[in-house]
Amino acid sequence: MAQPLVWVNNLSFRYRDRPEPAIREITFEAQAGELLLIAGASGCGKTTLIRCLNGLIPRSYKGELNGEILLDGKSIANLPLSRISQMVGTVLQDPERQILGTRVRNEVAFGLENLGLPRQEIVQRIDEALSYLGIHHLRDRETFNLSGGEKQKVALAGVLAMRPKILLLDEPLASLDPASAQETLRIVRQMVDEGLCVLMVEHRVEDVLKIHPNRVLLMEEGKIRYLGDMAGLYRVVNYREIKLPAGEVLKRARQDAPPPILQVLPSVQKEETDGKPPLVRFEQVSFGYETKPNVLRKIDFEIRRGDVIAVLGANGAGKTTLVKHAIGLLKPTSGRVLINGVDSHHLSVAEIARTLGYVFQSPSHMLFAPTVFEELAFGPRNLDHPPHQVEKEVMEALEIVNLSGREKEPPLALSFGQQKRVSIAAVLSMRSRILIMDEPTAGQDYQNYMDFMDAIVQLPNIEAILFITHDLDLAIIYANRVALMSEGRLVADGAPQEVLRDVERLMDWRLVPTSLLRLNLELLPNSGKFLRAEALAHLPSVHLGGKENSRESIL
Amino acid sequence: MLVAWRYRERRSLVQWFDPRAWFIFYAAFLASTLLFWDLRFLAVFALIALIVLLTSGVSWREMRRPLLFIFAFITFFAFLTFLTGRGGIEVYRQEHLIRKITFPFSIFGWQPAIQITWERTFFAFSQFLRVFSLACMTVVIPYTINPAHYGITFRGLGLPDKIAYAIDLTMRFIPTFGRDFQLTLDAQRARGYELEKIRGGIIAQVRKMAPLIVPVTIHAIIASEDIIDAMDLRAFGVGPRVWLETLQYRLRDKILIGFSALLFLVSLALSFLSYGKFWVPPIF
Repeated sequence: MAQPLVWVNNLSFRYRDRPEPAIREITFEAQAGELLLIAGASGCGKTTLIRCLNGLIPRSYKGELNGEILLDGKSIANLPLSRISQMVGTVLQDPERQILGTRVRNEVAFGLENLGLPRQEIVQRIDEALSYLGIHHLRDRETFNLSGGEKQKVALAGVLAMRPKILLLDEPLASLDPASAQETLRIVRQMVDEGLCVLMVEHRVEDVLKIHPNRVLLMEEGKIRYLGDMAGLYRVVNYREIKLPAGEVLKRARQDAPPPILQVLPSVQKEETDGKPPLVRFEQVSFGYETKPNVLRKIDFEIRRGDVIAVLGANGAGKTTLVKHAIGLLKPTSGRVLINGVDSHHLSVAEIARTLGYVFQSPSHMLFAPTVFEELAFGPRNLDHPPHQVEKEVMEALEIVNLSGREKEPPLALSFGQQKRVSIAAVLSMRSRILIMDEPTAGQDYQNYMDFMDAIVQLPNIEAILFITHDLDLAIIYANRVALMSEGRLVADGAPQEVLRDVERLMDWRLVPTSLLRLNLELLPNSGKFLRAEALAHLPSVHLGGKENSRESIL
Repeated sequence: MLVAWRYRERRSLVQWFDPRAWFIFYAAFLASTLLFWDLRFLAVFALIALIVLLTSGVSWREMRRPLLFIFAFITFFAFLTFLTGRGGIEVYRQEHLIRKITFPFSIFGWQPAIQITWERTFFAFSQFLRVFSLACMTVVIPYTINPAHYGITFRGLGLPDKIAYAIDLTMRFIPTFGRDFQLTLDAQRARGYELEKIRGGIIAQVRKMAPLIVPVTIHAIIASEDIIDAMDLRAFGVGPRVWLETLQYRLRDKILIGFSALLFLVSLALSFLSYGKFWVPPIF
């Protein structure tokens, strides 16, 4: 067998300021033309491993490093970063933060400029890398105005231009809409087929399976739990901790007890929803900026009691703009938004916040207080709730998100998942009756976010929920209504089994059907509605034939 | 959007020159203006600044907001100097009264009065003209200098690679910072936070800004870690850098640099010979 491109032996690393090692006794190798998927829950040491391979550890992150790494047969222990960076290219999780140039061509040139290559060669390599990724037309564009998918390709081009043999991708799909994610995966496969060695860290295991990774390295608490082919992975992991194809879950969940049935929005009684006016109503709402007209075009939309609405659509379709109208952060340029029957033009954001709570995507954009208690009290105090009531509201909100007893801790010192829960509690403490969330699951691992969503839809005192997501399965499992946006228009609005029925049309709207969707469509005659795969497994009439077909269709 | 790049290619006097030459001219203009207090001298500089502004190719619509803001700001401060008479003490010793206005009421026995003198009036005008010239010259820069050229411009002016790139990088992240700020403002407004309602003393006001300042700062710190990683991973700072963009001095640029040098030297000489000091028309 040829010499491996990546050879890691007994690697351990402990960050200087932490007592426990982040990774322990890691041994593996990877060949040219191999795609190795690195999976595992948040905090399992994936990012640390990547930093060891690209040389940031121990050069930028200090600590205790043991073990050996050979890249292309050479030990990297004594190599400078400039040499390592020509062997290993790294694309970080958030392309927004690693793009350094104001224009695309300057961004792609950055590494080559630093290496001091002749100008003519730089220009040639920029053109090559951009053409390879099919984005040559972006060459003179400003990086700030690119879409998420375009930014990622530009970041990738900047790395490929340095002609590495090994490529490290840290959660490349995290911020992409389904169609852009699929496009990125296609490019990764192409690069692997042409001989690059790609190590890809990704939570979205199921998506990566579509491009057939050669092997998977599963990490747990800093150690390798499994290293081998995909079939073996299915044997070692539980379908609750890692998202597996729906057919696989169906097969395995049959042996377990059926999942508990969720009490969705327990405060809303079915009979009381009929005939009541909607909580929020959009009437012919259009919105645009001077430089970008038509962000929203003539939207008619309602949020009613008992709704759990998933808003789907590509990046830039207008989803966030739509929900910002509901809370009054934006006012329509024509048409009107009624909140509890009152035009949003006559209401301040603070007034609307009394009924409608909006949780932003990133908790770090809102957490500021020295303690969790202060953080949660901020909203109700702004709304002039009396002090004894504020305390009660804070305690109740903490209990709902399962953080009771943590009220004296600083929110910024909590883990990302806990911060996310604090950010939701900070909205719940205002006693909002409608909860609106922008990408509630972003940045969390599968098990975490499923537990979290289970808790959210069962919250007491909430009358309606609306969430924006790129994850079609989240809509299938939790929503009782799906709103689909495309280019500023509301193109579909209805029950999930109605809106998501036409798989071909979904592709037109840059949505990619998942294995769970296909399985649900297949079993719809039996189930009558969309369910999670574990629940489908316990439908009385699911037979083996259907299951096998569905497995075929996703792989 | 709070901040976005206003730059685009325009038919513009500024863009007719190499950005390095323009920055040299800008620096010479700034330094020279600050040497004088004579209204007649300052009028010449204000005229140059006005020409630059009017030939910048930036439409009134585009620069209306910053320009009106700056105009209001300097008018306010010039008026304040005029009322209090402060600031001018260094440039004039004697005052000639035009009129004294005494208010027809008193506060605890003290009767407020304003002394309108020739010196105060002319000092306020001079101050206004000075700041106005500098403001006009500065306001056009973000509209007319290509952000992709900041790095090479400052490298070309002799700054080291790292500092020149740091300037370039700052330009890249200003819009990102602006967007983060807007996001935080929106997130807090959705929690009933109202910027308009902030009252109290300076310290109380700053404390009440914490919901904005803390997240934006924390976010900037987290982001900077990624930026440093991204730069390290692409071999930044390992040796002398080649800059993809190139700038070429043309004849007109050399003429502008020559003119800048002349402007500064002449200003320096005049100032040294005590010309251009504070001036009031000899009417008394």
